[in-house]
Amino acid sequence: MTVRIDDYRSAVENHWCPGCGNFGILEAVKKSLVQLDLPPEKVVVCTGIGQAPKLPHYLRVNTFNGLHGREVASATAIKCAAPDLTVLVHAGDGGAYGEGGNHFLHAIRRNIDITLVVHDNKVYGLTKGQASPMTTRGTKAKIHPHGVPSNALNPLALAIAQNCGFVAQCMSARGDHLAATLSAAIRHKGFSLVHVLQPCVSWDKVHTYAYYKEHCYELGADYDPGDRMKALELVLAEGDRLPLGILYRTEQPTFEDLALSHLDAPLRDLPVDSGRIERLMPKFQ
Amino acid sequence: MEVQIRIAGAAGQGLQTAADLLGRALTRAGSFAYLYTDAESRIRGGLNFSHLRCSDQPLHGISQQIDILVALTDAAVTEFSHLVSTNGIILCNRENTHPRTAPFTLASLLAEIGGDKALALLSAAIVCALLDIPRGLMESLVRDHFGSGAALESNLRALELGYRKAGELDHATRFRIAHAPAKAPRLWLAGHESVAFGAIAGGVRFVASYPMSPSTGTLTDLAEWAREASLVVEQAEDEIAAINMVAGASYAGARAMTTTSGGGFCLMTEGVSLMGMIEVGGVILIAQRPGPATGLPTRTAQGDLHLALHAGHGAFAKAIFAPKNLQECYELTARAFEVAERFGCPVFVLTDQLLQDSQATMDAFSTKEISQKRGLLSEAQLADMSSYHRYELTDSGVSPQAAPGISKHVVVVDSDEHDVDGHLTEKPIIAEQMCQKRLRKIASLKSSLDFEPIVEGQKSSPHLVISWGSTYETLREARNHLKKKNALFAHLHLSQVWPLPVERLKALFARYDRIILVENNAVPELGSLLCECTQRAHDVFINRFDGRPFSVEEMVSRLTEVLP
Ligand SMILES: Cc1ncc(C[n+]2csc(CCOP(=O)(O)OP(=O)(O)O)c2C)c(N)n1
Ligand code: SF4
Repeated sequence: MTVRIDDYRSAVENHWCPGCGNFGILEAVKKSLVQLDLPPEKVVVCTGIGQAPKLPHYLRVNTFNGLHGREVASATAIKCAAPDLTVLVHAGDGGAYGEGGNHFLHAIRRNIDITLVVHDNKVYGLTKGQASPMTTRGTKAKIHPHGVPSNALNPLALAIAQNCGFVAQCMSARGDHLAATLSAAIRHKGFSLVHVLQPCVSWDKVHTYAYYKEHCYELGADYDPGDRMKALELVLAEGDRLPLGILYRTEQPTFEDLALSHLDAPLRDLPVDSGRIERLMPKFQ
Repeated sequence: MEVQIRIAGAAGQGLQTAADLLGRALTRAGSFAYLYTDAESRIRGGLNFSHLRCSDQPLHGISQQIDILVALTDAAVTEFSHLVSTNGIILCNRENTHPRTAPFTLASLLAEIGGDKALALLSAAIVCALLDIPRGLMESLVRDHFGSGAALESNLRALELGYRKAGELDHATRFRIAHAPAKAPRLWLAGHESVAFGAIAGGVRFVASYPMSPSTGTLTDLAEWAREASLVVEQAEDEIAAINMVAGASYAGARAMTTTSGGGFCLMTEGVSLMGMIEVGGVILIAQRPGPATGLPTRTAQGDLHLALHAGHGAFAKAIFAPKNLQECYELTARAFEVAERFGCPVFVLTDQLLQDSQATMDAFSTKEISQKRGLLSEAQLADMSSYHRYELTDSGVSPQAAPGISKHVVVVDSDEHDVDGHLTEKPIIAEQMCQKRLRKIASLKSSLDFEPIVEGQKSSPHLVISWGSTYETLREARNHLKKKNALFAHLHLSQVWPLPVERLKALFARYDRIILVENNAVPELGSLLCECTQRAHDVFINRFDGRPFSVEEMVSRLTEVLP
């Protein structure tokens, strides 16, 4: 089977602002899925609410566009019910780290084989520019006319500290690099986090394409993603240099290894089989 | 012939083990047992009791009479000795001056065999002997329960001693029950297990929950049986995750369920409206306990009907079943799965602490009535379709559902308003069409679940007693007691509380002068819903809201007060 980019073409009108970083992510996702030869019917893209979460509508693909912040929870169950499918989650930084912060932590613990792609535009885009958990302290935002009083989250450090099996950072305009990283994340067995720096041209005048061009650098071939302490050092470093690439990677047993090992078919394909109770009733006689 | 036994003492003394063994022994012997447990929300200490009724017929009401009181603490004697019948006996752990105490203490017997680990079994053995349960039967249960080693040895010694000591009591003849061995083996199980059996018979494949009393029993059962029944049980990080997992699993084609109580369910409501919007099925068990907030964690109530009914904003189909007893815990849970998948909507099963935690002798469950048909399009059907629209506009409002990954079609669902293909839209015409489709689904669900309300008791009485959920068995017994005193009433019990057959109910209510509403709750839940739907308010409200169930005795006296 050879999957073509056209297989993913959607007729739905795109609602993003012209120039939005999301376009770069959309193209990279298509490129990656084609690279991996994954047909749309074997992929589920699970999202919540926001600008980033509209992404699957601009693809022709199985889509679960659920609630704001709950995308990771729903995706976890989708993977349990249909482990033969590739499950991608696309979320804004608000949905993934704010509303859905608890699910993010537990997805790392579960190490279930889904890929979380966070579109980090440092704001709540859809709801018009409020601060997000990624907004720098002191930034003046809609509900913070005198500056955001809280510190920004460091999701990369958090993920590495929790031994998340795959942690990467990308930039939306570096399409090939992003596509290649996404493919590696999808191939990785277990939970993978791809944190994508995404300029919001409407609400953030600081983190522009020019800003990222100046501050981002790609990790070289000499970088060893297996070194957890080095990775932590990198993401905890002060200053404004932004490393791109796979920051940390480690193989470990997955959720499926223990939780689904007793099944000989996906839950989705199992019939109703009331007779199963016959085996259990004797315990109660 | 009925004998009632109450084993009372502190948490951690093994009351439940003793009562459970007794119930199982009675079941095997061919009699009917019913066990109700009153326990505090603590692991050690306090005053708990397990109340066991045994009889030659199923009696599942709550009773306040005691024939045999096993008092493992002094507090248990003080608290319950006044309930002991004139022929009754009290087996005390320690020396007590109460006139009806046995001529030995459990502590002294334990000393004879050395060690106090066998207190539960010793009590059970004496009671078993008084109930004329063959010792061999009890011994095989003890062997099953304690395996091998020192624990088995000391419990076998306790068993022997218990039977011997019981033989010396002159009560020994008084409690003899004529056990009649059943044709087919019966089951001894709890309500939470009935619900779990119902879920498995109903084809559950995925369960996600955050533990909360009194629902946790069902979650534990399902987890324990996951391998034998081919399902996946996940302890979610919170209730919000749980319900969003249910929606996800259901979208992906697995029958899914979550188990919770009112407080946990409060966190789930957005997920319920998600299910309504994206039109996926799922079963939500709410095992009710008193609120607000944490309330009384290990106690019972019927307060969550409106919470479930109005959960989630917007208009969409849902059904609410409220089992009246342990048998219906099985039947209605199984049914809930079928309805949820067929209509692609949330279906609630409302039990409560009383139903979840009580145990009873039951006939083996039958699967004859349970549809074995999946409600989703098959691979073959999908292969024949040139296109697929997840939200196709149909007369019934129910669109054919496909699971992703089994055909060339992609399946798109969206919590935003969407078009027939599941893509978000704000177009007014489509928004209206989709809303109308969901409204048509509400109507088709209602007609599919339509039923003729069944009136029991004295149908021609001018008094109609209305109840729902776990009060049924107590009311049924109270009805029989009152019949003997010629205090008659008609009794309508609803096990499906939504949707309601409104016109039929209106016609029915018109035949009665007075409506007496019974609820285990501070404010009328079913009562206000019926009033809203039929414009007929109840005239009398009999309720209880201290977290305890009604007893038969109380029900008889409360009904006597209001019946002429
Ligand atoms: C439960 C809930 N609360 C609030 C909202 C409103 N809301 C929609 S999107 C959003 C934030 C979007 O920000 P982000 O997740 O970062 O995505 P972006 O739009 O920036 O891509 C909010 C607060 C909602 N849809 N649901
Ligand atoms: S608001 Fe920002 S994030 Fe949203 S589409 Fe416009 S540019 Fe993109």
